[in-house]
Amino acid sequence: MHYRGDLALNILTYAILIVLAVFCVGPVLWTLLTSFKLETDIITSQIVYLPTRFTFDNYVKLWSQSNYPTLIINSMAVTAMTVVICLLTGTIAAYAFSRFHFRGRTQLMLGYLVIRMFPAVLMIIPLFILLRNVGLLDNRLGLAIAYTSFLLPLYVWMLKGFFDAAPKELEAAARIDGSTRLGAMFRIVIPIARNGLVATCVFVAIAAWNEYLFALMLTTSEGSRTWPVGLQLMVGEFNLPWGMLAAGGMISIAPVVVLFALVQRWMVAGITAGAVKG
Amino acid sequence: MATLSLNGVRKSFGALEVLSNVDLELDDGGFLVLLGPSGCGKSTLLSIIAGLEPASGGDVMIGERRVNDVHPKDRNIAMVFQSYALYPTMPVERNIGFGLEMRKVAKPERDEAVQRAAQLLQVEHLLARKPGQLSGGQRQRVAMGRAIVRDPDLFLFDEPLSNLDAKLRVEMRTEIKRLHERLKTTIVYVTHDQVEAMTLGTKVAVMKEGIIQQLADPQTIYEKPANTFVAGFIGSPAMNFLSGTLDVEGGTAVLDHAAGRLPLPRLEQDVSAAFGKPVLLGVRPESLHPARDDGPSLSGVVDVVEPTGPDTHVLLDVGGQPVTARLGPRTGLAHGDSIALAVDTSAISLFDPQSGLRL
Amino acid sequence: MYLLLVPSLALIIGVVVYPTLYGVGLSFQTMRLNRPGNNGWAGLVQYQRMWGDPIFWLSLRNTAFWVTATTIIEFSLGLVAALALNRNLPGTKIFAVLILLPYFLPNVVAGNIWALLLDSRLGVINDILVHPHILSAYKAWFADPNTAMPAVILIEAWHGFPFFALLLLAGLKGIPTDLYKAATIDGAGRFAQLRLITLPMMRTIIAAAVILRVIGLVNSPDLLLILTQGGPGRATQVLSLYAFQSAYKDFNFGYAGALSVVMFILLMIFAWAYVRFSKVNEE
Repeated sequence: MHYRGDLALNILTYAILIVLAVFCVGPVLWTLLTSFKLETDIITSQIVYLPTRFTFDNYVKLWSQSNYPTLIINSMAVTAMTVVICLLTGTIAAYAFSRFHFRGRTQLMLGYLVIRMFPAVLMIIPLFILLRNVGLLDNRLGLAIAYTSFLLPLYVWMLKGFFDAAPKELEAAARIDGSTRLGAMFRIVIPIARNGLVATCVFVAIAAWNEYLFALMLTTSEGSRTWPVGLQLMVGEFNLPWGMLAAGGMISIAPVVVLFALVQRWMVAGITAGAVKG
Repeated sequence: MATLSLNGVRKSFGALEVLSNVDLELDDGGFLVLLGPSGCGKSTLLSIIAGLEPASGGDVMIGERRVNDVHPKDRNIAMVFQSYALYPTMPVERNIGFGLEMRKVAKPERDEAVQRAAQLLQVEHLLARKPGQLSGGQRQRVAMGRAIVRDPDLFLFDEPLSNLDAKLRVEMRTEIKRLHERLKTTIVYVTHDQVEAMTLGTKVAVMKEGIIQQLADPQTIYEKPANTFVAGFIGSPAMNFLSGTLDVEGGTAVLDHAAGRLPLPRLEQDVSAAFGKPVLLGVRPESLHPARDDGPSLSGVVDVVEPTGPDTHVLLDVGGQPVTARLGPRTGLAHGDSIALAVDTSAISLFDPQSGLRL
Repeated sequence: MYLLLVPSLALIIGVVVYPTLYGVGLSFQTMRLNRPGNNGWAGLVQYQRMWGDPIFWLSLRNTAFWVTATTIIEFSLGLVAALALNRNLPGTKIFAVLILLPYFLPNVVAGNIWALLLDSRLGVINDILVHPHILSAYKAWFADPNTAMPAVILIEAWHGFPFFALLLLAGLKGIPTDLYKAATIDGAGRFAQLRLITLPMMRTIIAAAVILRVIGLVNSPDLLLILTQGGPGRATQVLSLYAFQSAYKDFNFGYAGALSVVMFILLMIFAWAYVRFSKVNEE
């Protein structure tokens, strides 16, 4: 708190922040740059730092010559379905956890933590068999259902936190005015916790969009394959050129960046908030 | 030798000036109270004295030494915070001795000092506990123990009683006064509670918007407030202000107000410069008594009667202006009654209505 | 009111509990999809096999090393980032967004980004290190058993440290500023304040972050699948990868189940031990 030393500390802080920011964003920027380079500029013995020629070729080729568009659409479908399932089943569960103190509540919450400890591998095998038996293997809905296995608890956990932060008095007032519990939830709590609801949905959406392992195992054909699996397959089996790989990566993280931009307002508000005084 | 001396201290945050030209002196053993409403700059001033904030201008002297550039830990001060700021992960013993520990005082001496401080504040039985296990009053004592253990030149208190309930507040207030008398320490105490200021301070600085309105001992501030702000801030129920014009009749000042004329025979101020001009008369509720003779009096109609136990607050309408009087416990008055109240004109103040300053 | 829980509970039971129990059950069977004749209950055969399997022990050691190194690096970077962001200097918002970015990138993209950066012929990092002669020639980071694991650790840390940064920053915000003022007057320097006030007060959040991250690291082989598949040789073979390969390369579901159960038990032991020994419960 001694102000003399503050200048030196500020400089140090900025130095740290700049180094970290470069560390974090640098690789992504390099990939972005690569996606616009001609293939010959990428596979050279002398690394081209700032290319003189730019091209959209990589994007065009990837989009038109591979099944990338299908992959993206599949991912969108799966993500959307996952979010919808969570919304429908998880919101009311989160509300129940937040507002009611019932027997077994702590156990269920602890149970969530324990579930997280199960290795994904352990779950995939039986899920594979289960989905195959109900005909939902290699199916986008099936994959969405599989995703809820690890995303629904996360959804409920996060949303409960937001519901907890919404003051209970408003619902009490609404119920005195004649609303039902559920009605109070829809009309009062959700609008207040709207930001939290959006943030939670975005988290789940990003996680579903990015997911690799389950998608790898539970989809076998192009009909339902998601982009992470498809892209990696192209790298491994078809030796995808770096430029197109970079383009594919950039395309796929565009939605993530957009979604991230939505959530960051909420997250960064927490970051730039002041600390408590005493 | 003055323990604390501020000359022309200023503080601005960017373009906003929060403290303007603060001058004050505090002698050894004195108890200075910085009193004022929220936002008046008293806590900022305390932070500047402590060294937690730099002054934008002026000199801060502690014991004849200019300390503007001295680190808080080298100013030989101690501070008690409104939130107590006890380190939650350390036991009380370590909390109290922390300052000594940071100054590399040897353990045996440290333990002894901690024991003495703990005994003084009656918290020896709590030494092994963590702050989270203590009550509010106990935490308050531990915070004070941490302050006294290093025997500093200057003690700084930042609204230490605000977080306590009313009863505890009164107890701790007495504790602090007792401690001051016993240890003869020099204290700067920030509060917005004027009762604390009056009971604890040897000197009170009433502040508003970064400017000291009046710096004097409590009695002077009470009886001779420097302006209407100070007059209205100190004393509960608040001082009454009656507007009117100042006239003179047979050598005595007279207030010509909406409901009549009020002679002011025992006025102690020299108000000759204000004859014929509008003035504000300040009279405290306790300076009004039921009129028994022909002395100066105000007549009004009773609006509200509030019994408090030991006395009764009566709110009157005097010619359209509200006046509160503090009368005895059984007044027999009710809404709508007319009453005449004698005014103790030796205890009134006259102010200029424009500037608010005492005439 | 329990009705509110039914839909999600039904889903969880169907999609989580049942498969998990099934999976645990598998560990007590022999089930190889490509040798159906042998399938059936086999008691502890899988576990016995595991005990005598050198690859299992190698994977275990690698996992321990990988998880420990990555967690320590992520925690340190996260703490530094959190402390820097907490000072709330102008521009913090932008830096926060940039620093958080890697955590939200998909594993596939993260892995390939770094695969290009560290490529033995085209990697920019190689170029940057060769010019000032830190390296004598371009390195094949993923082909050399000595550098493959450190490279993967670096990438995983890059990907995961924002998680710590976020949680630790939230923890920092919860510490009342008055404590630092009191400590300054008491004479504690910044480092002492960090050590004696800040970190002890964040014990619970640190525990939560560490345990969650360790669980994540042990359980998901995503990055390794993309980058090394356990190689070169077995330099980056970890348990999660081994289980995965047992299931989907060897089709030995029984063994994979057993490996997974062991991973789960190890995680439970870790979580219990951490909480028990880290004084978190004192609060």
